Amino acid sequence: MSPDPHRKQESAAGIEHIDGLYGYALVLTRNRSDAEDLVQETYLRAIRAMGRLRDDSNVKGWLFTILRNIWRNEVRYRRNAPETFDMEADERAARVIDENAKTPHDVYVGELERRHVRAAVQQLPAEAREVIVLREWEELSYQEIATILDCPIGTVMSRLARARSKLRGLLTKLLPKGYLRRAEAEATE
Amino acid sequence: MSACDDYRCLVSLFLDHELSGEDAEDFLAHIASCGDCRRFLEEEQALSQVLHHARPLYKAPETVRARVSGILSSGENAGLFTPERLRQRIVRILASPLGGVGHPAHRWGWLSAAAVVAILALLLTPPMVERARADALVEKAAATHRKILEGHLPMEIQTSSPEVVTTWFADKVPFHFQLPESQQAAMGPQNYRLVGSRLISFRGSYAALTTYEMQDQKISLLVVSENSARAEGGDEVESGHLTFHDHAVDGLKVITWSNHGLTYALVSTLSGSARQSCLVCHQNMADHLQFSQHP
Repeated sequence: MSPDPHRKQESAAGIEHIDGLYGYALVLTRNRSDAEDLVQETYLRAIRAMGRLRDDSNVKGWLFTILRNIWRNEVRYRRNAPETFDMEADERAARVIDENAKTPHDVYVGELERRHVRAAVQQLPAEAREVIVLREWEELSYQEIATILDCPIGTVMSRLARARSKLRGLLTKLLPKGYLRRAEAEATE
Repeated sequence: MSACDDYRCLVSLFLDHELSGEDAEDFLAHIASCGDCRRFLEEEQALSQVLHHARPLYKAPETVRARVSGILSSGENAGLFTPERLRQRIVRILASPLGGVGHPAHRWGWLSAAAVVAILALLLTPPMVERARADALVEKAAATHRKILEGHLPMEIQTSSPEVVTTWFADKVPFHFQLPESQQAAMGPQNYRLVGSRLISFRGSYAALTTYEMQDQKISLLVVSENSARAEGGDEVESGHLTFHDHAVDGLKVITWSNHGLTYALVSTLSGSARQSCLVCHQNMADHLQFSQHP
């Protein structure tokens, strides 16, 4: 049976990256409605430019680059507009069910952990926020991140090191005492 | 910098799979022999594990997912599958003889009849659909203007030059849009000022938004292709060869009209009739008589 043409077109346009793009949009904008508009605008522009995309192109990196460029232009024109951090929206947007969780306790612990991580990420400076999201959650290579951020790989590495160091400090305060130690023990098992 | 400092710089690269070949082997050999660096690696691994556990950090709301799916599957994605191309294809199909592609005609009898019905349905868009599109444009124009008034919609280009705006839109909107230069030969000083423009999404395609300022008033002009929406509804006012449609939406005045394949939606908080609203800007222009009161 041939695949649904709509599904095929959606896949070609990178619909599977929508959660990642939305997460990236949220850490850039820190505002739910701005993030929603940014994701929609990204797909609109991607669709218009899709004809110029080669078969072997990196669709994921391309979509993230489009999103960041739109946001950069937006920021340039907002200038004096105050940054509004819609914390409640951040919580709403983040209600994620962990499909791998085995028990309600796992779900609870997973959600608690996720909430602390989100809070820590949102406390990072803008540069650190985006580099950590692109690497830790989107698992993009240093080269891909450098292309998206339009900077040298060395800058990606130094920003990432600073971001992780800050994140460690924040998480040590936010997570229950000894949590990182336990994770450390699990990691070495 | 000690040898251990050098290796600790490589920990992130190792965890991010950016270290390979001899560099990775050398790194692992050092880790095996150095307790301090091994502990540092374990701490970094632990942090990485906590971050990975929190995946996915965010999930796109269903509303956004639906909107994006709609954009991708609507068939209105510019350059790939425009309504214009669809129409041209249908016209070609209609022009070619039915069953004339190597198949016996009788096998196509009922199918061709159904195809003609379907094609006619596509070509002759029902008035109800036209009206819904016209209403959607009015709603969109009003919502966009509200965002401008609240300061939530910055312009992508800020200029007082109509020529610059025209050039900026040239390769961005799927229609030819030209902002009149010098506002149709002004006979006196213009009482409004062009502020800037930006793209707006409307029904899976792009619309051109231009904003103006007049004293303390903000005025916005949203332009879409007539294929996306035609001006309909509201109080109709005839002026020359144009018909203006005057709508009131939550304290905003939205005037729409269609001309030369484009549909315009002008939004302001100005009071008075559509004709009076037009005169506010056109009073010093060569075409002002077109908008003056008539019996």
